Amino acid sequence: MRGRALAGFAAAGLGLSAVPFFGPPAFYESFLYLVFHWIVLAVSWNILSGYSGYFSFGHGAFFGAGMYTTATLATKAGVPFLWTLPLAALVAAAFGIALGALVFRLPRLRGELFALLTLAVTFVLATIVLNTPIDGGPGLYLSAVPLLAIGPSPSSTFYLLGLALALATLWIAREIQRSKLGTGLFAIHDDEDVAEVLGVPTYRYKLAAFGVSCGLAGVAGGIQAMFISYVTVGETFSIAVPLNVVLMSVLGGSRHWFGPAVGAAAVTALLYAFTAGDYAVAGHAAVGLILIIVILFLPEGIFGELIGALKRRRVPATPAIDAAGLPAPAAAGPGKSEGPALLEARGLSKAFRGVQALAGVDLEVRRGEILGLVGPNGSGKSTLINVVSGHFRPDSGRILFEGRDLAALEAHRIARTGIARTYQIPRPFAHLSVLENVALPAMFGRDAQARPDAEREARRWLAFTGLAAKAMSLPGELNLHQRKFLELARALASRPGLLLLDEVFSGLTHAEIDDAIRLIREIRARGATIVFVEHVIRAVMELTDRIVVLSYGRVIAEGDPRVVMREPDVVAAYLGKPRA
Amino acid sequence: MALPSLTLLGQSLLSGLFIGALYGLLGLGLSLSWGMLRQINLAHFALAFLGAYLTYQLAGAGMDPLATLAVVMPCFFALGVLMHWLLARFSVSAFNSLLVSFGFTAIIEALIQWIWTADFRRMESAYGEVKFRVGALYVALPELLTLAMAVALSLLVWAWLRHTYTGKAMRAIAEDAPMAAAFGVDVRGLSLLLSGLSAAFAGVAGLCLALSYTLAPGQIYAWLGVVFAAVMLGGLGNPLGPLVAGIVIGVSEALTMAFTAPAWAPLVSFSLLIVVLLARPGRI
Amino acid sequence: MPAANRSVRAVFGALLALALAAQSALAAPSGPPVRIGSTLALTGPLAATGLVHKIVGEIYVEELNRKNGLLGRPVEWVLKDDQSRPDLARTLYEQLITVDKVDLIMGPYATANILSAMGVAQRYNKVLIHHTFGTPSLAKYDMQFPAGGLAGDPDNTIPKLVFDALAASAKPPKSVAVVTSKFPSVHFISLGARDAAKKRGLREVAFLEWDFGNRDFGPIAARLKDAKPDFVWVGGLGLEGNLLIDAMRKIDYMPPLHFHLFPAPGPLLKAAGGENALAATTFEEHPPFTDNPVAVEFIRLYHERGAKAGLPDTSVENQSAISYSSWQTLEAAVTGARSLDDKAIAQWLKKNPVDAIVGRLRWDGPFNYIYGTDLYKVKQNQKGKWVIVWPKEFAAPGARLITP
Repeated sequence: MRGRALAGFAAAGLGLSAVPFFGPPAFYESFLYLVFHWIVLAVSWNILSGYSGYFSFGHGAFFGAGMYTTATLATKAGVPFLWTLPLAALVAAAFGIALGALVFRLPRLRGELFALLTLAVTFVLATIVLNTPIDGGPGLYLSAVPLLAIGPSPSSTFYLLGLALALATLWIAREIQRSKLGTGLFAIHDDEDVAEVLGVPTYRYKLAAFGVSCGLAGVAGGIQAMFISYVTVGETFSIAVPLNVVLMSVLGGSRHWFGPAVGAAAVTALLYAFTAGDYAVAGHAAVGLILIIVILFLPEGIFGELIGALKRRRVPATPAIDAAGLPAPAAAGPGKSEGPALLEARGLSKAFRGVQALAGVDLEVRRGEILGLVGPNGSGKSTLINVVSGHFRPDSGRILFEGRDLAALEAHRIARTGIARTYQIPRPFAHLSVLENVALPAMFGRDAQARPDAEREARRWLAFTGLAAKAMSLPGELNLHQRKFLELARALASRPGLLLLDEVFSGLTHAEIDDAIRLIREIRARGATIVFVEHVIRAVMELTDRIVVLSYGRVIAEGDPRVVMREPDVVAAYLGKPRA
Repeated sequence: MALPSLTLLGQSLLSGLFIGALYGLLGLGLSLSWGMLRQINLAHFALAFLGAYLTYQLAGAGMDPLATLAVVMPCFFALGVLMHWLLARFSVSAFNSLLVSFGFTAIIEALIQWIWTADFRRMESAYGEVKFRVGALYVALPELLTLAMAVALSLLVWAWLRHTYTGKAMRAIAEDAPMAAAFGVDVRGLSLLLSGLSAAFAGVAGLCLALSYTLAPGQIYAWLGVVFAAVMLGGLGNPLGPLVAGIVIGVSEALTMAFTAPAWAPLVSFSLLIVVLLARPGRI
Repeated sequence: MPAANRSVRAVFGALLALALAAQSALAAPSGPPVRIGSTLALTGPLAATGLVHKIVGEIYVEELNRKNGLLGRPVEWVLKDDQSRPDLARTLYEQLITVDKVDLIMGPYATANILSAMGVAQRYNKVLIHHTFGTPSLAKYDMQFPAGGLAGDPDNTIPKLVFDALAASAKPPKSVAVVTSKFPSVHFISLGARDAAKKRGLREVAFLEWDFGNRDFGPIAARLKDAKPDFVWVGGLGLEGNLLIDAMRKIDYMPPLHFHLFPAPGPLLKAAGGENALAATTFEEHPPFTDNPVAVEFIRLYHERGAKAGLPDTSVENQSAISYSSWQTLEAAVTGARSLDDKAIAQWLKKNPVDAIVGRLRWDGPFNYIYGTDLYKVKQNQKGKWVIVWPKEFAAPGARLITP
């Protein structure tokens, strides 16, 4: 598959590079250079902002950083133009990574706040460049910088440089989309917290995407500096670049590496379609009207709609895979309550702005058992699951899993230790297919499988949970029962040693509950240890070996389910004390 | 650099306050439609300028500038309703609405240039001549009106959202529209209402622009960056947000211009913004 | 009787010859059109002035076609919209030259776009006549010809002009404030003004630069008011000068004298607070410029066309005049060299001055620029009209620089 794509790229590259040698009018070369230029900017922007949803309004800052790096080095230090380009990439990328290193650590800086931050960075950089000797006001003039004659004419040279960079950018975007990095980014787009808990190293991935995105923008800036040959702060850091890349990506379709390229070509062509002097003003309005009509009728973007239509046309081939080939989950040994402790929580505390959700919880989970976690609403059950799985950090206390302290680990590493969980309200990745949802933990979990193996594993788990027919559907197309089972399949795909289930039975019908009980028994039979939070008492009674009762963040009872549920403290916690 | 006099300081503070109020007024409609209706309405700026030009035109024909609101606001309300109807009809997502509104911006900008040419227009009005003296400081009436309108509108919307049934229904829609509908809230009607109001507010901002500034179609983009910043900093959908954030930005820029080389102003205001974002949990 | 017959025949013959000659002189231009290509900022931030140049170009080309055209051939102007963007200007000039294959090119509006066009012209060895290039030090192409009357060292000539005018006035200022945008074509001239002020012994009480995107001129106005200068040099571009005046009026301050470098002339005339403002120009609608019948005719046509295009201000002043002069330059050069060949035209221009409506333009300096002197004058907004007040030979009849 990749060989075919590489051949395709090479063919396109060779074919397009031959164009200047046929002596076309220079205008077409310059026009195509501009198309390539915007392709690079839009596609590179999309790598972070389209894939991961971290909408950056500051692409102009990195573009400008590259532009000024080239301009400064070429005019003030006499560095040959082509050598300035990798330096432009480095400066822009370094700048982006430095910014990202600071910003991505802060979980509240998502969505529009990230956009705001990147916009602010543009203004800051522009002002610094304007007021320091980097520019200082008069701008930098590059007409005296020699341009290496790569093509038969200067416009050909820019055409070829632009072509090379555009192809490189497209290839990089494609590779990223199809790699683990890409899958991780798309998961981050849909639900970053879940992705992190499933093992995606979100911080590192975002940083990588941002660095690549900025570096490419930097090179584009460097080449553009030579093209327009007069670099001023006003032109470089205007609102045009950040605005246009968004428009182009949305117009073309931001979920696919090729989408923004289509948008870039379309918008640039539109720009030139209406340059005749007589109807300049009307032309401006016409461009606006065209944009409106296109996006109203093609909401996924021009290319996005195309891809979507093609996907729907294709009949998904569901290979017959049954659950028989499923490997046993880790930690074999079906010993019940007498097994050694797999998980130990000691003095676990967690407060949220004055509400003490966990107030010193001590409990242990023995290998191979099914432990029920019960208690009235607000007793801290879900919080406990969240803390153990890495969603939240505990304020104090220790969590030992197979002897190792989890509290010290970053969230995505906890997944690698072999802990998986489901969510009470299912949180699948909305834009990934059911198959991709389940394959992700296999790719990022303890075994870190390659994609084809992960997908095969995913199919087995889908067969196990009865969702094989829905592999190509989007989660939005499933009903609640199916989505719960999707959660289960997803949790199982990483072959966890410890499975945490958060109210997996809520909302299910009687028959569906029977189904789920059978499934959980099978999972334990394969050797997993299960902790589940539940209100549906029937399930608790039928499945659990032991239960632990929480109330107001503390353990108030534990032991055999039938015995514990009759203890007066437990009854009081649920129902209150009877009036004398 | 000598220490500036108190008068200079005070006058600069006022200047920053007033321009911040204008940022807030421009940002109010934008923040509401972005925060509550999930529509990023770039065309808000073009609408504001259209309003400014209409005010200029009507005032030139003899109408009192403030009275032009009686014409402009209802027309813009209708425009806002129409825009939202269009976006809802096609179920346009947030980012797609950015593109659609950009298209509207281009159309409105072309319309303005076609009718009034790209030449600079300055509305001269009786209001423009009036100044008040407060000690050694001067306060011009147009600026005061801008501040008054910004504060009034922001507070009105805040009170509406806080204390009235429709306001609370609106907030419910912003949080979870289907759920609100399930509880009997008229999502469609209220969304149209809010969109209309946002557009009407753009008209008010236009009046203030016309009172205080020279107009040119290209100026539409000059306000985009800083008002977006104010809107995002103030918290989407928070009616007091753009005003407070706008004033913070305006005052920090003005004070910089009073103390040091004015060209450093954006650096200070936006660095401050970055620091605030990094340090504070959440928004203003 | 035979002698009278002969003389009648002679007179008749002479009259006939005269009529025939007159008819051929008034013959409409014929043959394939001479195509002249250029771009202008018809949309975007520079569109206001772009429209002025469009109108002037249309007027000139029509006049040409009404008379003899260029070298007897009709003239066609191929105009494109560069949307105020230099990268678009560059590619459109390439389109004009390599695709539309125009015979000659004309310059676009404003410095950055002219620079882009110059690069293209250089690559294709086309002569480039332009009018609004603000940074002469960057013009390093020997076939470019500035027809805007600006010197090669405007940071020297314009301040000299202004300060000479002030020194000769009834009340020369003793202190000066220089406030300027950091926009390239404005900034360096303002720095020149600082130097000039210092050399003439004027006390500088304030020097402020602003970022060209600046909206808030309040603090700058307040600082000026604090500094109390006798004279303020405003290096503003477009509507910045207006915004500054607005800001000053709001705090009840107007400097005694102020000069604006490249203002929007119409709005400055009408602005309350613009009274007695000074600016630089090459042309105004009064003698001695209106002694030139060509100028008078142009003024008439411009009023007509400007009104039709909806321009709020239809008087001919700097922009329209230098635009007209650049077309005059082109016509003179083509006619003088008797050829459409760019090299021939360039050579002719280097050796021959052209008397345009703004004055005598010549290009016999380094890179075709003249240093030390230019065609600019100082004008003042007196009672809602621009009136040249310096140098005296060009001042409107009886006009003097009004001082406070």
